[in-house]
Amino acid sequence: MTPADAKQSWRPYKAQQEQDQNAVFDIRIAIAGSMTIEPLEAYLGAHLLQRKFKPTFTIGPFNQVRQICSDYRATLGVDNLNVIVLLWRIEDMFPEMLTRCLESPAAVGDLLAELKGLVGAVAELRRSFHGTLIVSTPPYPSMPGFELLDIGQASLGMTLFNTILQFWTREVAQLERVRIFDLHGLLLRAGLSHAQDVRKWMLYRQPYTENFWFDVGNMLARMIAAEKVSPKKCVVLDLDNTLWGGIVGEDRLEGIQLGDDFPGKAYRDFQRHLLHLKNKGILLAVASKNNPEDAYEVFDKHDAMILSRKDIAVFEVHWESKVESIKRIAKKLNIGIDSLVFVDDNPKEIGEVSERLPDVSCVLVPEELADLPGLLAETDFFDIAEVTDEDRRRTEMMAADNLRQQTQEAMSEEEFRKSLKLKIEVFEIEKHHLSRVTQLINKSNQFNLTTIRRTQDEVETLANSGSAMVLGMDIQDKYGDYGLVGVAILQKESRICIIDTLLMSCRVLGRGAEETFIAKLAEAAHKLGCDELRGNYIPTAKNAMVKDLYHRFQFTRLDQSDEWTIKIKDVPRAPQHIDATLSTRAESSARRSA
Amino acid sequence: MMSDVLIQLFAEVLHLDPSGLNEDSSPDNVKKWDSLAAMDLVAAIEEKFNVQLSTKEIMKMYTIGRARKTLQGKGVAV
Repeated sequence: MTPADAKQSWRPYKAQQEQDQNAVFDIRIAIAGSMTIEPLEAYLGAHLLQRKFKPTFTIGPFNQVRQICSDYRATLGVDNLNVIVLLWRIEDMFPEMLTRCLESPAAVGDLLAELKGLVGAVAELRRSFHGTLIVSTPPYPSMPGFELLDIGQASLGMTLFNTILQFWTREVAQLERVRIFDLHGLLLRAGLSHAQDVRKWMLYRQPYTENFWFDVGNMLARMIAAEKVSPKKCVVLDLDNTLWGGIVGEDRLEGIQLGDDFPGKAYRDFQRHLLHLKNKGILLAVASKNNPEDAYEVFDKHDAMILSRKDIAVFEVHWESKVESIKRIAKKLNIGIDSLVFVDDNPKEIGEVSERLPDVSCVLVPEELADLPGLLAETDFFDIAEVTDEDRRRTEMMAADNLRQQTQEAMSEEEFRKSLKLKIEVFEIEKHHLSRVTQLINKSNQFNLTTIRRTQDEVETLANSGSAMVLGMDIQDKYGDYGLVGVAILQKESRICIIDTLLMSCRVLGRGAEETFIAKLAEAAHKLGCDELRGNYIPTAKNAMVKDLYHRFQFTRLDQSDEWTIKIKDVPRAPQHIDATLSTRAESSARRSA
Repeated sequence: MMSDVLIQLFAEVLHLDPSGLNEDSSPDNVKKWDSLAAMDLVAAIEEKFNVQLSTKEIMKMYTIGRARKTLQGKGVAV
């Protein structure tokens, strides 16, 4: 999509929506700035349309960022917003003070105090507004004194700006659930001289080129979409000419290209990026046609390898088809085939996989090797709203899984279950669980009875309401801690308790976790003052595995519908080999005060 | 007049019917042509005809007829 295409797609959509009194929108966005930001609407709009959203916009009044923070309803004139985006610049909001800092560096303290005030205003907005809040970094100032090429002296402007940027970023990062949009970073990437349009600044107080607004729109659309769209979970990698140059089976360990000089450097930097992804919680797997011992030898013995064997969750190294390897990887990791990205240098392999497994996202190693390190960096495959502890620990948890599997193979099913010493805690969630719970709600597909997606604010509202209960489930066994892997939302309707949401990570299934969760839900419903549990099964393309779940737990079907019911006293007990507990907020706060 | 490229472009950006616009249309007689619309118009003209307008030229383009003249002066056939 080019900027011109974006306008072409946005104009008719907007014209149509303006005429249609009954237009339905799935996302309501307010954008406001310290400068004229109107051009952003078409570009952000077009990028959201491309991601299948139906957005509508409110444009905030010019340079009223503070007023929006203290009373967004009055300043924007609308109430039912899902997203507020604020873009601001130091030179618009604090022009005199910024000039004073250039004259006398001691004035920086005053400017930082003003910034602190602005951070406070953003925090105030965060408290009063329950949707997604996105606030920009301030871009490098565009005003006299901040010339980039100050020949002959170290730039005071640059030093000053760095202080401001650092201060702002650190302060805002401490606010909960305020997303930072790095406007300055984007400006650097585009290049200041390409991004700025001084004519439009002079005439309309609008500082940027259309191309730059197009980039801003794309980035913001990614941030907004990341709240609702499930990210990819695993990168499946070929080895020869993908992780290193050459063919290890022919060139041997010494002959492959991997190191500090090109072309080895391209492969090495690509591995660095993959390691970075792994640290963000993305799983790495290998699908390679090779002799396993040749492949492992590189991982174990090559000095220049960045990735080690323990960074790879699954190895499929043999001479069978990659389609089979990829299917097995998805199965072993218990993730949907559509959450895989496959990287290979061979167009034939890419072609075969994309034809037979169209849900896999396939990426060909570029002809220009210098582009390899950035291959996955500029995609939105892995965009997530927030990285949780569970994400960071995922590979270690996978390693524990392998250990479990080996033990399981040596024992009977029952012995194995007992030997795990499973410990399950079901609890009413607290504030610090919100990001993980929201993540599960938005990405669990298979063991998910209703697949109702929610934003973090929606979850928080439910958790704080008296008639609903948001429950999390923590599981550990003797091999390790799975962390928070199950979520349920109960809604009380007089004596009936509706299971609005019930989902679990598939990795913990089949060891009594489902039975325990249901039993504890019944207990929680009882505490809410209910005597009946009701649950819905809403079929999707992916959740067939839970089609019979309520039937399995002896619920009865309400006349031909997909709704199921059971008296709480009839709910089957949790299996005996599991150490299971339930704690509600009332109980945990009582414990704390005791 | 219906097929006139420039009038079409102004109409599209201003969300108006082309029949309501002529060479004398300006911010004084077209309500929707405010300063934000002017900014949109400049972006649309630059993109459509692949030209770069100076601030002087932009300031001069306060009617459609003036815009046409300015563009013709830059070698655009409108």
